[in-house]
Amino acid sequence: MSDAAHRGPAAPLLEARGITKRFGAITALDGVHLRLFPGEVLGVVGDNGAGKSTLMKVLSGLHAPTDGEIVFDSRTVVLHSPRDAQNIGIEMVYQDLALAGNLPIHENIYLGREPGRRVLGFTIVDEKLSRKMAMEHLDRLNITVKSVDQSVEELSGGQAQAVAIARATAFEGRVVIMDEPTAALAIKEVGKVLDLIKRLKDHGASVILISHRMDDVFFVCDRVMALFHGRNFEEAPIAETNRNEVIGWIMGTRGHAAGLAHEGA
Amino acid sequence: MAVRSTEEAARRRLRTLEKYGVFGMVLLMAVVLTLLQPDIFLSAQNLTNILRQVAMNALLALGLYVVILTAGIDLSVGSIMALSTMLLAMADVAGWPWPLAILVGPAIGVLCGLVNGFGLTVLRLPHPFIMTLGTLYTLRGVTNLVSGGRPVSGVSDTIRFLGSGEIPMPFLGKFGSIPVSAVVLLVCYAGTAYFLNKMSIGRHIFAVGGNPQAARVSGIDVNRILLVVYGMSGFFAGLAGLLMAGRTGAGFPNAGIGAELDAIAAVIIGGASFFGGRGTVLGVFAGVLVMGLLRNGLNLMDVSAFWQQTLIGMIVVGAVFVDVLRRRAGRGP
Amino acid sequence: MTRYTLKGLLAATGLAAAFTGAALADTKVAVIMSDSGSANPFWAAVTKGALDKGAELGIDVAAVAPAGGETDVAGQIAMVEDQIAKGVVGIAIAPADTAALVPVLEQARKRGVHVVFIDKRADMPGTYIGTNNIPAARIGAQHICDSVESGSDVAVLQGIVTSTTGQHRAQGGREGLVECGLNLVAEQPADWDAGKAQTATENILTANPGLRAIFASNDNMALGAIEALRTAKMLDQVMIVGFDGNPNAAESILKGELAASVAQRPAVMGAMGVEAVLKLVAGEELPDEIDTGAELVTKENAESYL
Repeated sequence: MSDAAHRGPAAPLLEARGITKRFGAITALDGVHLRLFPGEVLGVVGDNGAGKSTLMKVLSGLHAPTDGEIVFDSRTVVLHSPRDAQNIGIEMVYQDLALAGNLPIHENIYLGREPGRRVLGFTIVDEKLSRKMAMEHLDRLNITVKSVDQSVEELSGGQAQAVAIARATAFEGRVVIMDEPTAALAIKEVGKVLDLIKRLKDHGASVILISHRMDDVFFVCDRVMALFHGRNFEEAPIAETNRNEVIGWIMGTRGHAAGLAHEGA
Repeated sequence: MAVRSTEEAARRRLRTLEKYGVFGMVLLMAVVLTLLQPDIFLSAQNLTNILRQVAMNALLALGLYVVILTAGIDLSVGSIMALSTMLLAMADVAGWPWPLAILVGPAIGVLCGLVNGFGLTVLRLPHPFIMTLGTLYTLRGVTNLVSGGRPVSGVSDTIRFLGSGEIPMPFLGKFGSIPVSAVVLLVCYAGTAYFLNKMSIGRHIFAVGGNPQAARVSGIDVNRILLVVYGMSGFFAGLAGLLMAGRTGAGFPNAGIGAELDAIAAVIIGGASFFGGRGTVLGVFAGVLVMGLLRNGLNLMDVSAFWQQTLIGMIVVGAVFVDVLRRRAGRGP
Repeated sequence: MTRYTLKGLLAATGLAAAFTGAALADTKVAVIMSDSGSANPFWAAVTKGALDKGAELGIDVAAVAPAGGETDVAGQIAMVEDQIAKGVVGIAIAPADTAALVPVLEQARKRGVHVVFIDKRADMPGTYIGTNNIPAARIGAQHICDSVESGSDVAVLQGIVTSTTGQHRAQGGREGLVECGLNLVAEQPADWDAGKAQTATENILTANPGLRAIFASNDNMALGAIEALRTAKMLDQVMIVGFDGNPNAAESILKGELAASVAQRPAVMGAMGVEAVLKLVAGEELPDEIDTGAELVTKENAESYL
């Protein structure tokens, strides 16, 4: 991930060009552009149905776009599955976490990519290694759990979110996409998750954060972009905008939303 | 804090009950039967009988367990077993060499299982209940069609050895021996335990049962997993068919009628969750033993077979209730 | 037979060592049926006959059936094994499958447990105790002969013609009717089914308006034939005799619609099964087949078949 930093901010690490996604007669995304630079945390905001989650599912390989292209590291890529996205270093933390509650923490972190020996096309899992790697990785991210053998369903919402994030970064993902990572959390757990996002950035990863919470966006993001009715609406470096303006974008207005500011976040 | 720790304790108790309850039940039944039938129950002959009697259900239950781990169900195992038994017996009686003939049962089983998997993944039938209900009828029908509804007897000695043969164990007394079918069981159970716990594909089966969405986004090919589990279920049903042909020396069209229900009951009694992702191979075997001991004990006491059904039903409900309690407790803070 | 005569028998054949007087009460015999008495009145009667015989002789008789009924082959095999483990001297069994029970029954014999068959035989040597359907059907035919004028038009309704039972009953009925000088105008299969029997009877009546009697190979078909007669308003002119002595047939007999039904004697079957086992234990030779006979159910005795 260090070589990504050397390319400098001029070349985006991940770029979506003119992404259109139709579900039958419904157009969820209509020619959307997105640029994510190395080491950047990009906030994506928009009202329910604005197309945020659909865009992220396109970027993470879960949905194929109807039109448009994805450029990663200056190369056009076609993502047929989440596995394709993971292979080039795009990881996604889903809103519903997408963890298997019945499995222990370490197995969730390496699910689908278990460490072990290959024998006749099958992988014999090296459980010891899986545990050890999980512990080291959680340590690196300052995530504390009782034991990596705890099953995920026994964790609190914040801990589970941390495991989901740990899972997304376990393979040196260069882009981590997070869909509302704080929405379901108790207040005291929100701060921990935001700290974790900052730590990812420190480790050199680029992050796309979808959030409804202005506090989150303004605390961790470098830049913010707004979608409205499936199209690009506005975007700006975080230093050049303010909450009221961004809340206005979410509702589809520019410049004169000051009066509504206190209702938002 | 105090509330939390008592809840925690309650949850732990439930987990313990779910994990070890069935072993306690096996032990309790063994003690009760020893007290009621001291001369007979613990005789080497009776213990050998029990091992032989549970063999078929044990194999079917093992296959169903793997399916139920994915929150699926396979109603067709009894019919798969019947078709495997029948075609195997026909091939054997027609003079196929035995190494080929014994492959017929498991091969037919895998084929039927893959048909189930095909219906779920390619035809996208909404629930395995429907697909396997379909094959339950279809395969039973095919069995009757190929056999004309009549048994085929005269299965060769090699195959009979697998189903009813015994490896003498002189230290167990005059009739003391280990049935060949018990050795087959041991291999299958140990193999499946290794497959499920040590191999990544086995862990993926658990993941699909725990959260199919999570499995999908983790790059696990859920359709492939489904083909594997229904194929395995078919394989074990076919293997049960092989043992059945060996035990009865025949292929007969009524083999395995209702056997799928016994197998499902054993899996549930064994502590596996109908909601998927939970259970152990050892628990399943204990569930099979509970049913086998109940049948054996009631037979020894000449109690009406209806009691067997009544009691099994109650035990199943009890086992599921423990699962429900655990889930409810698990949804705590 | 009393306890003393049995003991004498055993002593006489040199088996006294195995069964001392005290051990006689411990002599265990198993009657393993293919369906349980509470599910089927036929097997209820077998059970009663066997248990009564056991009480009479002072021995321990168990009458059992697998939970899954007639199709529970694996359950029945397990029962045989469990009875052997229990130490029975012999087993009277109605095999749930003619082929599949053979290995376990051979195993029983290898361990010195005697085996006889009741109601149905497995594909192996051994004494069969059951109803011989040919003479039984003749009893029904004879009742028709006794009731209608010689030379009258009569018909036979057959069961499933591929089954041995169906063939034997039809044969006995046909032979009985023809031998006493009746005119057999039709013989039609109706597959044991009431609806098919009704259709067949309608057709027979259309072709033979002078028909006087029908022998139906089971009660279901007999009751179907009665429905056809009722529709044609010919109940008074044609007499029907069925086979099985089922409760609904007995009801119809009491109402005066069905003339009679041939009943097997399941209680006798149960008792004879127990006796046959004991005879084998005593070293007697048994014939290959023992007919339990049949009896006619008419208005006089139909009460007891309800």
